Amino acid sequence: MTSKITVNNPNSFILLNGDEAVARGAVEAGIKVAAAYPGTPSTEILETLAQAAKTLNFYAEWSVNEIISTEVAAGASMAGARAIVSMKHVGLNVASDAVMTLAYTGTKGGLVITVCDDPALHSSQNEQDTRYFAVHSKLPLLDAGNPQEALNMTREAFNISEKLHLPIILRLTTRVAHGKAKVQIGSFQNLERDISFDKNGSNWVMIPANAIRQHHALEEKLVEAKQLSENSQFNKIEDNNSEIGIIGSGVGYYYARSVLDTKKFSWLKLGFIHPFPAELVKTFATRVKQLIVIEELRPYIEENLQRLKLDVTGKTVLNLSEIGEYTPDKIREAFAKLGLTKKTSTTAAVAGLQPRPPNLCPGCTHRAFYYALNSVNQHVTCDSSKCIGCRTCEKVCAFGKRQVLGGAKARIHVTRVNDVEHVAISCQACPSAPCVVSCKNGALSKSVKTGLISVDESKCVGCALCVKACSYGAIGLDSDKHKVFVCDTCNGDPACVKSCPQSALTLVGRSDDKIVAGDIGCYTLGFLPPLSTVQTCLCMGGGISQAAGMVHAGVGGKVFAVLGDSTFFHAGMPGLLNVAYNRANVCVVILDNRIVAMTGHQPTPASGRTAMGDAAKSVSIQEIVRSVGIDKIVTIDPYDVKATVEAIREILTYDGPCVIISQRSCPLLIERGSPYEITEKCGSCGLCTTRFGCPAITQTNNSNSSVNNASVVSVTSGRVAIDSSLCSGCGVCASICPHNAIVPMVGRKD
Amino acid sequence: MRLDFVFAGVGGQGIVVLSDIFCEAAMLDGFDVTKAEIHGMAQRGGSITAFARISEKVESPLIETGKADAIVGFEILETVRALHMLKPNGTVVVNTKYLTPSNFSKSIKLKTQQELLSIIDNFTPNVYQVDASNMANQLGNNLIVNTILLGAVSALPNMPIQRESFEKAMSTKLKEKYLQINLQAFELGRQSVLK
Repeated sequence: MTSKITVNNPNSFILLNGDEAVARGAVEAGIKVAAAYPGTPSTEILETLAQAAKTLNFYAEWSVNEIISTEVAAGASMAGARAIVSMKHVGLNVASDAVMTLAYTGTKGGLVITVCDDPALHSSQNEQDTRYFAVHSKLPLLDAGNPQEALNMTREAFNISEKLHLPIILRLTTRVAHGKAKVQIGSFQNLERDISFDKNGSNWVMIPANAIRQHHALEEKLVEAKQLSENSQFNKIEDNNSEIGIIGSGVGYYYARSVLDTKKFSWLKLGFIHPFPAELVKTFATRVKQLIVIEELRPYIEENLQRLKLDVTGKTVLNLSEIGEYTPDKIREAFAKLGLTKKTSTTAAVAGLQPRPPNLCPGCTHRAFYYALNSVNQHVTCDSSKCIGCRTCEKVCAFGKRQVLGGAKARIHVTRVNDVEHVAISCQACPSAPCVVSCKNGALSKSVKTGLISVDESKCVGCALCVKACSYGAIGLDSDKHKVFVCDTCNGDPACVKSCPQSALTLVGRSDDKIVAGDIGCYTLGFLPPLSTVQTCLCMGGGISQAAGMVHAGVGGKVFAVLGDSTFFHAGMPGLLNVAYNRANVCVVILDNRIVAMTGHQPTPASGRTAMGDAAKSVSIQEIVRSVGIDKIVTIDPYDVKATVEAIREILTYDGPCVIISQRSCPLLIERGSPYEITEKCGSCGLCTTRFGCPAITQTNNSNSSVNNASVVSVTSGRVAIDSSLCSGCGVCASICPHNAIVPMVGRKD
Repeated sequence: MRLDFVFAGVGGQGIVVLSDIFCEAAMLDGFDVTKAEIHGMAQRGGSITAFARISEKVESPLIETGKADAIVGFEILETVRALHMLKPNGTVVVNTKYLTPSNFSKSIKLKTQQELLSIIDNFTPNVYQVDASNMANQLGNNLIVNTILLGAVSALPNMPIQRESFEKAMSTKLKEKYLQINLQAFELGRQSVLK
C-alpha cells in the first residue's frame, strides 16, 4: 500500500489533513511503535501510519481499545523507543487509568498521546476539552491550530518528551484533524537506539512508596516544563504596536485573523499551553491596553489570565459560547460588536427544506436487523387518506373468522374521521395492554412472542370491561356467545390487508414495545426515525450494563442491548461477562458486520488481518460469548428478516442472559449486487419508505419530475422509486414488500 | 487572487475525493490551499459539505456565510441548502439530479425539482446546470458524476487553475484502471460549460 507520508523530499509541500500531518511528524521523529483504536476525528492518524509502517520499518497496530493502545505505546517507550498513541477525546477517558499514572512513572523513549477533541460534536457524544485533562493529569500539552502546526508539534513533542521524561499530550480539534492544508514536510530523523528495558527502574513499579516519590518528581518536571513553554517556538508574539492584543489557541485563532485586519492588532498564538506560559503572557500584556482571548470550548486561557490578575475580554463580553465550535461568522460578529471589524450582511439559509440527517447506508445490515426487531410485534394500520369507508375489511374479517355476513363480528371497524375521511381500526397491540390489565378473570393475555392479545373463552364472562378499557375500540363483544374477540392478525397474514381495494391497510411493526439499549457505532443511527429502535447511547460498551441495571431495578421483561462487533471487543466483553454471571434477563445483540464501519472500515480482531495488512487469527465471537457463560446463543443473517423475527420471538420466551449474533459483512465492503426496481404492483403502503427507510428508496410528491435513472411508479399519494445508483442490491426491501412489487432490475448493471 | 469554493452533496457522492483533487490541482499551480470537511457520522446518505479555499496565503479553513465565490452542487436539494454561503452574484455549478431524502418528516413539504432549480436561478444569474448523473449513466458508470462536475468547474470563466493541473491531480488521486473514464468524464463536464 502506498502512503503519502513516506516521501523523502524534505521541505517540499504536500496536501495533508491534521491527522496525516501528525503521522508525518511521527515518522520524521523516528517512531518505532504506533497504536490506536479508531475514533473520529483521530482515525486517520494510525490509518496513515499503518500504511507507512512497512516502508519505514516501524510497527503499527489497531489495538482493541484506547487504554490498551496507550499501554502498548507506553511499553515501547519504557524500552527506549519513540512511540505514539492516538485517540478521540472520549477515548482518553478509557485510557485515563494508564495516562494518570504514566505521568508518575515517566517515560524513556519519547511518548506522544495525540487526542482529537470534537467541538460541535460532529461525531461524538460529548464536547470535553482535553486541555483540562492536561491540568488534571499534570502532563504537558501542545494545542495545534492547523495541519502544519500538527506536524511541527508532533515532531517536537518527542524531543520535549525525552527532555522531561514525560508523555506529551498533543491536542487537535475536528477542524484541524479533518481540515486539509498545504503542509511543508521535514526530513526523517535517523535514530540509532539501543532498545532495552531497565529491569531495576523502581519508577516503573507504582506501589505507594515509589509513587509518592514519583509524584514529587512530576512536580519537579513541571517546573522544567514551564520553562519550556515560556520559551516555546509554538508560543509566538506578533507585535504590531497595537493597543489591542489578541491571545488565541487552536483553529479559533486563525478565524480571528481571517476576520480582522491583522496589522491593526498584536497577536499571541499559544501552542504549548500547559504548563501555562504565564511570564510570556504577562510580557505581552504590558505591551497592549486590552487583551482579547479567542479559544473554543472552555475558557482555559481566560481563567489563567484571571489568575494572573490580568483584565481580559473573554467569552462573556464577546458573547462566545463554551458550547459548540467557533466559526469565522461567530468571531466576526463578536469583533463587530466591539467595533473592531465590519459586520457583513448575509442572506439567511433557505427555509423549509427537507432535512437529510445521517442515515444507515443502503443495504445496511443494521437496518435489516432493526426492522426485524420492530416487526416482532405487529398490527394492522390504516392510511386514512386512502380509506374510502367501503367496509370490505369488516366483511372479509367477519366471514373469515365467524363465517357470518355483515361486519358486526369483525375484528376491524371502519369509523369516520371527518366528513370525508374514514379509518379502519383494529387492535394496535399496544405495549401497556390496558385490556389485559382490566380483565378481572385473567381471560386476556398478551403474547410474549408476538405482542398479540388472546382471549381464553373459558374464563371470559362477557363483562366487557376490556371493551371499555381499549381506547381504540378494538375489542368486540360477541352478543351470541357473550365472549369478547380481538384481532389476531390472522397469524401474521391478515385477510383484511389482502382484500382492501384501496391498499389502505398494512401490517406494520412497532418500535416502542421493548427497551433497546444502544451503543457507539453506525448502529446508534437506529435511534432516528423511521426505525426509532434504539433508546440509549452513553459510551463504548455501556448499553449492555445499562440494560442490566434496568433489569435489576425491575423494569420487567427482557431488555435488549445492541452493539457492534468492534465495540463488543472494545468494552462489551466485560459487560457481557457481568450480565452472564449476575444473571440479568438481558438479550445482548452483537451486530457483527466484520469491521469497524463508522470510522472508515478498520479491521477488528475478527477480521483476520492486522493494521499492517498481515494475516491474523480471526477470533470467534460465538466462542467468546459461550466462554463467558452465555448458554443461549442464536446466530442469524439479518438479511433474512423472517427468520430473524422468528429467532427474536423465540429469544423473548427465554428467561435469562442470552445473545443474538447478527452476522453479515458491511455492504460497503463487498461488490454491489444488481439493483432492484419497483413495479406497477406497488400499493404505495409506505412500508419501505416510512418504516424501513432505505435511502435508495425515494418518495416524491412531484408528479411530473423526472427522477434520473430510477424506476418510477405513479401512485395516489406520491411516487416511490429505487435509485439504482444508490441501491446496494441487498433485496431486503423486496423480501418485506407486502405487494411483491420490488424485483431485481434485469438486463443492466451499474 | 482568492477563491472560495463550497462543495455540497450527499455522503457517498464522492465530495471528499473531488475537493481533494481540486486542492491538489491548485497546489500544482502554486497556490496555498485549505480544505474543511466533516465526515464521520454514517458513511452514506447524510448532507455533506466541504470548503476549499485558494489564495497566496490562507489562514481560516472555513468560509464565512455569503462569501463563497462558487458552490459546486452534487445534487439540487443540498445545493439549495448551501446557497446562503454564496456571495452576491456568485457562481453555482449544479448537477440537476434530485436525491429526495428517504425518511422525510411529514411536517415539511418536499420541494419539487422545479422549485429547487428556480430557487437557485433566483439566487444568482450565474448558474451552470449540468446533467451529470445522466451523462455518467451514458458513460456506463454512475460513480463519475464528480469528475464531470470537476470538468465543468475547470471551464468556468476566470478559473485560475490550469486544465493540465486538474488532469495531473486526477492521475495521482484516482486508481489507474478508472483514470481513462474519469478523464473522459472530465472532458464531458468541460464541454457542458464551454458550449
